[in-house]
Amino acid sequence: MTAILQIQNVSKQFDGLAALSGVSFDVQQGELLALVGPNGAGKSTLFNAIAGVFSPTQGQILLDGQDITGLPSHALARRGLARTFQMVNLFPELTALENVMQGFHRHMPVDFMGGLFQTVAYRKDQAEWQTRALDVLRILDLQALADVPAQALPLGQAKLLTVAIAMATQPKLLLLDEPAAGLSHEESSRMMDLVASRVKTHCTVVLVEHNMRLVGRYCDRAVVLQFGQKIFDGIPQDLVHDPRVVNAYLGTAGMGT
Amino acid sequence: MSLTLLMQGLAIGLVNGALYILTALGLTLIYGILHIVNFAHGEVFMLGAMLVYVVYVLWEWPLLAALPAIAAVAAMVGWLVERGIFRRLRGQWLQLLVATVGVSLIIQSLSWIVFGAQEKNVPSILPGVLVAWGIRMPYERLAAAGIAMCMVAALYAVVYKTRSGLAMRAIEEDEETARMLGIDTDKVAGLAVALGFALAAMGGVFVAPIYSINPGMGLEAILMSFIIIIIGGLGNITGTLVAGLFIGVVQSMGALLLGAESAHVLVFVVMIAVLIFRPQGLMGKL
Amino acid sequence: MKQQAWPFVVCVLALVLMPAVASTYWMHIAIVVLLNITYAVALFSVLRMGYLSLGHAGFIALGAYTCVVLTVRLHISPWWGILGAGLVSGAMAWGLGAMTMRLRGIYFSLAIFAFGEIVVAFFRAFDWFGGPSGIANVPRPKFFGHALNDHFSFYWLVLCLSLFFMALLYRLQFTRYGATLLTLKTEASERLAQSVGIDAARLKTATFALSCAVVGTMGAVHAQYLMFINPQVFTFLTSTDLLIYAMVGGITQFWGPVIGAGLLTLLGEQLFSVGYWKTLVYALVLMVVILSLPGGLMSLIDRIRDRWLNKPGG
Repeated sequence: MTAILQIQNVSKQFDGLAALSGVSFDVQQGELLALVGPNGAGKSTLFNAIAGVFSPTQGQILLDGQDITGLPSHALARRGLARTFQMVNLFPELTALENVMQGFHRHMPVDFMGGLFQTVAYRKDQAEWQTRALDVLRILDLQALADVPAQALPLGQAKLLTVAIAMATQPKLLLLDEPAAGLSHEESSRMMDLVASRVKTHCTVVLVEHNMRLVGRYCDRAVVLQFGQKIFDGIPQDLVHDPRVVNAYLGTAGMGT
Repeated sequence: MSLTLLMQGLAIGLVNGALYILTALGLTLIYGILHIVNFAHGEVFMLGAMLVYVVYVLWEWPLLAALPAIAAVAAMVGWLVERGIFRRLRGQWLQLLVATVGVSLIIQSLSWIVFGAQEKNVPSILPGVLVAWGIRMPYERLAAAGIAMCMVAALYAVVYKTRSGLAMRAIEEDEETARMLGIDTDKVAGLAVALGFALAAMGGVFVAPIYSINPGMGLEAILMSFIIIIIGGLGNITGTLVAGLFIGVVQSMGALLLGAESAHVLVFVVMIAVLIFRPQGLMGKL
Repeated sequence: MKQQAWPFVVCVLALVLMPAVASTYWMHIAIVVLLNITYAVALFSVLRMGYLSLGHAGFIALGAYTCVVLTVRLHISPWWGILGAGLVSGAMAWGLGAMTMRLRGIYFSLAIFAFGEIVVAFFRAFDWFGGPSGIANVPRPKFFGHALNDHFSFYWLVLCLSLFFMALLYRLQFTRYGATLLTLKTEASERLAQSVGIDAARLKTATFALSCAVVGTMGAVHAQYLMFINPQVFTFLTSTDLLIYAMVGGITQFWGPVIGAGLLTLLGEQLFSVGYWKTLVYALVLMVVILSLPGGLMSLIDRIRDRWLNKPGG
């Protein structure tokens, strides 16, 4: 079993405040792992450290055996790490299809000269891009919205599109930042359903999520953080019974539903 | 290069800086509240100088009547510009920026047309030179700097001691929350721009007896103001103060050591350097 | 967005046929219009990315002075002067862009504005560049031994270069590269672009460099047209003029700056001998457009065209 992502003793300090302390765990290929914890636990900090927003103060992060600690986001994308953003982030003026096509930069360069002279190779690439983009949209059932400008999409579809864009980079690892946030009960179930059944077959997924019902129902594994430290690492079903986790969440609604 | 000469340069630089600060503060105020860099600021400065010539020299009003009148006119113009233009373009940074450029061009071209290209002169109000420790300081300039500093102190008092000032600081901190707390952001915006324009005009007024007046003098003023607010940090009042004095001295010393033209370029180079290496300014927080 | 070809073809045809029927005065107008349109379109290619350059005049001046220095001081052929101008402007823009394009919004604009002022001050300071009075007797290129010394023959040079650059920039806009530039328009979408592997910094710098190379080249041609250069020819007011052309024409599509530059230049040259009146009218038009017609004149034209096309029986 190959660990696609290895978090090794990662710590992060912000002006003396320890947001993360010695967090270590592995993510196996093909897993759907949830990063959970009460507010302020350090989930976002860890997420951002992996996603290259900043470097950890200490520790290493390895993607498929290679050290990716501190690499900038466009370098990470080229190594096979994709992410979504907590606030829906799309290219508003482009259509859904064009949005997804922007995700292919990792594998197909801009080809400035080809575009300028409209070479046969360039046009063939364009046609291929379009077909592939449509395939990606199909993974998330968005193919019907291919020609809709992204800014016109309702929240549920928009969030699915952000996942599609990330998928287009053909990542080894996909980081989803609160994919269900802001969605209704049905929409969030649908989102997680698509992630668990379709997205997972293409890549490993790590997500940050508050909604424990979704975590319990769709995720293979869960890592719980509290005060920047890992307090649980195992299957979601065991999570509810773990005394440390229960203690951390004492008083929070949503447990065990 | 004698010590006296260097001291002279320093003294003149500080005094010039004090005058720059007045105008630059108006720019900082407007940026802090509205997040607009007001390109028209230099032209309002020029307007202040022009109006002093018209009101004090041509119409022979007493100085004590002319100054408040000019401040009031500038404030009114500012308020109208905010109400009619800035408010309509809220949130569109490009359009706002271009609008301020448009306003500056309108004021400038109208001035060329109305006032003509001939340089005007406002006679010295306070002639004479103070000589101390080998340094020669015209009374005019010293008095202007002094009054400017008093106005700065008054501005500080307004911003930090009054309720309007508190409202301004709240909006600068977080406009959304300020609005939810019941602060009338529109009214405060109008007030801030009016105040900013008045400060710019006052800057021009104090400079009027020192330099000759022509409709092109706004460019120099806006350039200096930009440099100061960038170095001090956009929206940072204390930063503007420090940067103003700093730039005044840099320019004065630069002129002494390298010549006026090179000093001019030097100031720009400092600005680009700050933008590249420390865009939040020497004192600002990004 | 499929554009109909015929208006464009008609215009090019008209431009080509002009020298046969027009007077010297109108040839002058045509040359100035073409120069301004090219400048405006080049500015637009940077605006499109969400960056406002307030110092494009500096790069025009850089190109102009490079050409003049090469041809007058170093006695190099004017053709090389034109090429050199583009290369120098482009290279300078690349360097400056690499350092400043991570700044957003007003910070970037002010940095480029400062640069523009530095360029002009630099040329004004040294006598080798002619100092405050500039350099005169700038030679024009020779075409097969025949110097392009009258308006009619020089017009062809201007026409060919401006059509070339316009075609280049238009074409690029509709390629993969052009679409990718749109992803850099705001800070948020640039972050997204980075996260999918787009090297935003390099793309932005390359685009800025191309834009400045274009205006630098045309600046050289401009200097050859005037046959002199001095620090007062390309000032901040030039930069604002270009901005006004683009905003009035409309910055949502390529033809906006073309229309804006064309119409306003015609208006300016025809009606105003005195600079201040021209500036006043330009500024007033700008304010009216900004406040009441956000898409510029092109949006008005589009609206009229749509209504006209949809009228008879749908």
